[in-house]
Parts: sequence; structure tokens; C-alpha cells
Amino acid sequence: MPQDFSTRIIAEVPHLRRFARGLCGDASLADDLVQDCLERSLKKQHLYDIHRPLRAWLYAILRNIHVSQWRRASQFGVMTDVSDLGEQQPSVAPLQEQNLSIMLITQALDKLPQQQREVLVMISLEEMSYKEAAEIIGVPIGTIMSRLSRARATLHQLLEERGTIHLRVVK
Amino acid sequence: MNETVSNWAVHAFADGELSGTEKANVEALLQGDEAARAVLAAVLQQNTALHQVYDNVLQEPVPPRLRAAAQPPRRLSGSRALIAASMAGFLALGGALGYFAADHLAKYQAFELPQIAYLAHQTFASEVKHPVEVAAAEQDHLQKWLSKRVGQQIKIPDLTAQGYTLLGGRLLAESEGPAGQLMYETADKQRLTVFLTENAGGVESALRLEQHGNLVTCYWRDGKLAMAVTSALPRDDMMNLARSIYDKMEAKS
Repeated sequence: MPQDFSTRIIAEVPHLRRFARGLCGDASLADDLVQDCLERSLKKQHLYDIHRPLRAWLYAILRNIHVSQWRRASQFGVMTDVSDLGEQQPSVAPLQEQNLSIMLITQALDKLPQQQREVLVMISLEEMSYKEAAEIIGVPIGTIMSRLSRARATLHQLLEERGTIHLRVVK
Repeated sequence: MNETVSNWAVHAFADGELSGTEKANVEALLQGDEAARAVLAAVLQQNTALHQVYDNVLQEPVPPRLRAAAQPPRRLSGSRALIAASMAGFLALGGALGYFAADHLAKYQAFELPQIAYLAHQTFASEVKHPVEVAAAEQDHLQKWLSKRVGQQIKIPDLTAQGYTLLGGRLLAESEGPAGQLMYETADKQRLTVFLTENAGGVESALRLEQHGNLVTCYWRDGKLAMAVTSALPRDDMMNLARSIYDKMEAKS
């Protein structure tokens, strides 16, 4: 049974990593977040309701860790001043011609208020339902909708200012 | 993209939240309203762009450290049991006997660790002007830097509940390689240091204690880190403190 649980949470790691990168941008910080999330989920395994989706439960754990770290960091007034470390990885390893657009999008995301960013990442990237996002964050669906539409409007504006709104999307 | 109710409906439509009449209503709105179509297009474009930026991580293999983090901590619970046993022995036999037993066990693997940590404490804890190299205000940086130099992911334990505030830390050059020292202080300026370095041999040890004058050093080795905690405290208090630091570190190391 514990072995099964490990296998199941490992299967969710790719999605957790994407979610974490969407939330915090820096790839190694994002993986730290995923690591904390996995460790905590093992400790809290007894609290997991097997009738509910595992991914949503893990998302909620990860998001809680992120919020508490983020709060702590903003209290200390230092988020990242690690430019001299030379080990920072970009959150994405894009193809060359996509480089600029991708950079602009990640920069624009960094400018969003945290509350808007997380809703945008949950809905647009992780494709959660409004209800799932509302449960994870602990706010009414109406709040999700207003944060989402503000996030999208801000992002749109930021990208438009940078002249990348006509980003070519090659799929 | 103005914030209007119809915009919200278009967002909800784009996000697959609508069905039946609601969905039909938005479809009708989109037919006749160019602004609404622009909103929809922008939303979809953003969604696609976000996927384009972040989806590549879905294809990456799970990194070993995350795979390891998803395994039940069997090895660690083993060393935990050792620690519990050594502490039980401590209580049962009394301070002196427990101390000698621990000392006897220690000789083997961890000969230098407590001495090094004690000397580092003596050297730096008495500093008034420069107790640390990187101050607590840059905790995030300190954590990354020491992790990088020590070669292991380290965690800076929060000891606020125990009455200790982080002052910061420094890098030390030790026989086992680069080491880190974290310094904490109580409200009445009693200092405590946490010494950490890579456990190069990988041999684990239980929690042990050594005393030099009024300074007590508790130390242990787990799979990745060799650690020591030093302060001028009664032995039992030090053991309790060391155990809570061990617990905080265990999650990461």
C-alpha cells in the first residue's frame, strides 16, 4: 500500500512540476516546492481520501506550501537575490525562435500579483475547473472569476505593451 | 479586455465551465459581438502561450531527487529509531553513562565532527561585529549558497519556537570539505551554532553529545549531511534542541 502510494504520486510529478513552475518561475525553486509537496504528502498520506482525485489533493498541498513560503519571503523582504550564484536555471528551455516570446510571457507572469497569478496558472495552464480552484484556494467561485479576468486583462496589457500580442503560436 | 459580466461569461465559456442555455447564450453573444470575440481570442491565445512555455516539463523524466522524495523514508526512520534508542539509553542510564556510551560509539565514524563544530563555535560565536558572513535578511540566498558549496540541499531550521532568532551564517573550510555554520541568538544574546557539512562517507550515526567546558555539542550524521549543534546549555536541553533541529532537517536531507 505505501509502495502504491509512492508510485501514484511519482506519476503526478510532471504535472506538479509544471504547476510549480507556473507559480514561481524559477525552475530549481519550483522543484524544491515539488519536493516539499511530495514529502508532506507522504507524511499526510493518512489524510488522503482515496475517493477524491490524487492530483487535486497534491495541488492543494503544493499551493499551501508555496503560499506560506511566499508570505515568509515577503515578510523578510527578500525573494531572490541569487544573481551571483551562477546556478539559476531559466524556468523553460525554449527553442530559439520562441525565446523572446517565452521570456516576455514569464516576465509578464512575474509582474502579476500572486493571487491573480495562481488563479491564472490553475485555470489556464493546469486546466482546473473554477470549483476545484475555489476549493484549493478557499474562496468563492466568484472570487476566482474576478481574479482570473483581472489576471488575463493585466497579462494582455503587459504583452501588448511589449508588442508580443501577435505571438505566433506553432503547435 | 474590460471587466464586464459578459467578459466573465466569455472567460467561463473559454474555460469549458458552461453548458446548456448558458453556453448557447455566450455562443449567440459571440456571433454578434466583435469585442466578445476579441476577448475569446485573447484568452485562448494566452492559454496556448502558457502551455507553450510550460508544457515541456511534462515530457521530462522525473528527477532522481523527486523520485527519492516520493519514497517512504525507510532509511531515515531507521536512523530515527537509533536516535530514539540512544536518547532512551540516555534517560535510562543517566547523563554520564549515556554520554560515555555515546562517546564510545562515536569514536569510530565521527571523530572530528564535534571538535570542528566546537572550534567553529568558539571562534565565531564570540564575534560582536562580524558574527556572520551572510545575515538573516538574506536567508534565501544563504540557503542556496551553502547548499551549493556544501554540495547538499540544506535547510535553515526555524528555531523561533525554541527562542532562537537566526543571525545568519558563514562558509567554513574544513577537512571534510566546505562546511556551513548557521548562527542563532536568544533574546538575551545566548548564541547557538549549527554546523553542517556533507557526510562524505555516507555512514550514518545516532545523535551524540560532547562537552567542552560549558559548551555542549550534539552531533549526528545522516545519509547526506554531518551536523553538529553547539551552545552553552544543559545537556538535556541541548539534546532536545538537537532533536528538534534533526526533525526539521530530516525532511530535506
